Amino acid sequence: MKMAQISKARAYDIVRSPVITEKATLASEHNQVTFRVPLDASKGEIAAAVEAVFSVKVTAVNTLRQLGKTKRFKGFVGKRSDYKKAIVSLAEGQSIDVTTGV
Amino acid sequence: MQVTQTNADGLKHEFKVVIPAGHLEEKVSTRLAEVGRTVRIPGFRPGKVPMGILRKKYGSSVMGEVLESAVNDGTQHALDEHKLRPAVQPKVEITSFKEGDDLEFTIAVETLPEVKISGLGDLALEKPVAEVTDVEVEQALQNIASRQEKTEAAEKTHAAESGEVVVIDFLGKVDGVAFDGGKAEGYSLKLGSGNFIPGFEDQLIGAKAEEERVVKVTFPADYGSDALAGKDAEFEVKVHEVRKVVPAVLDDELAKGVGLETLDELKKAVREEIERDYTNLSRAHLKRHLLDQLAAQYDFGVPEGMVELEFDAIWKQLEKDKSEGRLDAADQGKSDETLKEEYRAIATRRVRLGLVLSEVGRENNITIVQEDLNRAVMAEARRYPGQEHLVFQYFQKNPDALNSLRAPIFEEKVIDFILELAKVTEKVVSIDDLRKDPEDETASEAADAAPKPKKKAAKKKVAAEE
Repeated sequence: MKMAQISKARAYDIVRSPVITEKATLASEHNQVTFRVPLDASKGEIAAAVEAVFSVKVTAVNTLRQLGKTKRFKGFVGKRSDYKKAIVSLAEGQSIDVTTGV
Repeated sequence: MQVTQTNADGLKHEFKVVIPAGHLEEKVSTRLAEVGRTVRIPGFRPGKVPMGILRKKYGSSVMGEVLESAVNDGTQHALDEHKLRPAVQPKVEITSFKEGDDLEFTIAVETLPEVKISGLGDLALEKPVAEVTDVEVEQALQNIASRQEKTEAAEKTHAAESGEVVVIDFLGKVDGVAFDGGKAEGYSLKLGSGNFIPGFEDQLIGAKAEEERVVKVTFPADYGSDALAGKDAEFEVKVHEVRKVVPAVLDDELAKGVGLETLDELKKAVREEIERDYTNLSRAHLKRHLLDQLAAQYDFGVPEGMVELEFDAIWKQLEKDKSEGRLDAADQGKSDETLKEEYRAIATRRVRLGLVLSEVGRENNITIVQEDLNRAVMAEARRYPGQEHLVFQYFQKNPDALNSLRAPIFEEKVIDFILELAKVTEKVVSIDDLRKDPEDETASEAADAAPKPKKKAAKKKVAAEE
């Protein structure tokens, strides 16, 4: 993967929070970690950011845009924010403990 | 679990308990799995939360839980294995514990001493009894009579004397203005009773029926109302009637006044009342003798922990009394050290007696049944005439209060039991001897100088701990 050059601050901005769900836990069996990232983060940036923040080797990044649901409250239509999830594959033998903070 | 006894000295025992880490770990896992089945964590369906996350989230609290139960189990185990009966809560100290390491703790416990109860039947006790004399009944009757005094209207020309009752209207004025509470009509005032402002009653002496008088008085400087204190006041008083006081005579009429049929019945009731009084007194004496004998007979080591608890309770009470200036005359002028020593002796005695009594109760299966409790509640209720209902409610709503009745009942039952076995001889004494505080007879024992109520209360507590 083509790594992007990013500043330290940007790296910490990109890795917003880990996604801790049943699905994410299943993915961790395949050495994949899931994060919430900004909508404008590219795969290259995400790979660089995760490597910088957690000192690991990233082999692949898959991303998806999770569109916010439209919700009605007292007749008014509202929309939850969209967000981007990044599923990061780590090199063999490396791991990130997502339940402890950065 | 590995229990080793490190120290056994009289009543004190010490143990060291080691619980292997694996054992703890296993317990934590099972407990976490249990928690995991029901707990809701966002992102997971109930029961689908992976162990790792559960451990992160609940690990420490579950660990605490497991540790506590492990320590309790260990303590129980150690006591059971050595067949010990602890006197007070065992002291547990955790010597070493680290996550993933063996748990080590020490238990320091004081056991109840072995109390061998024997020879209850050999106790020889003297029960002082006193006869109720006619003189006393007569006196009691006179007392009742004086409370039942009646008045009767005197002739119109009779001038009121001190001790007689005048029925008056009055209107009080200060500086010509009537004030609150300065007005009444048809008020019965007993002259010389001192109920009114000083001087008021004196000025009505000599008044006759239908007479009007102006009474001038000065309110005392310390009068309850600031507005009136120290002021001069004029009372316009109209006397309606002068009533003479008729001393009540001992007859059936008097009996009717207190709700009985005839004078004989009243006499009987009074006699019974006095008798009951005396019976209670002789029982108190008897009990005291019994406890003294028991204390002298049994001399075993008592657990220090219990003595300490007892002593603390006494001492706290004493400090309170002291700060309120209600210290016993006998205790005044004694230094703290002497007092402490004295009361420590008392505490030891109480603990010892408490142990003896509870042991007797245990051996002979003396238990408190619901009936006993009911009776106690009834007795308690009778002490508050007119509010029996409230007392019942109180006990219904407060099981704790009901339980506090248990200890004294237990004590009484045990004492009854012992008294039945013991040889009790009756001895007729004069009533003055009977009225003497049972404490005074044994005052020579310095250790027993404590006021009685305190002693009883505390002893009950000991019994209650069983």
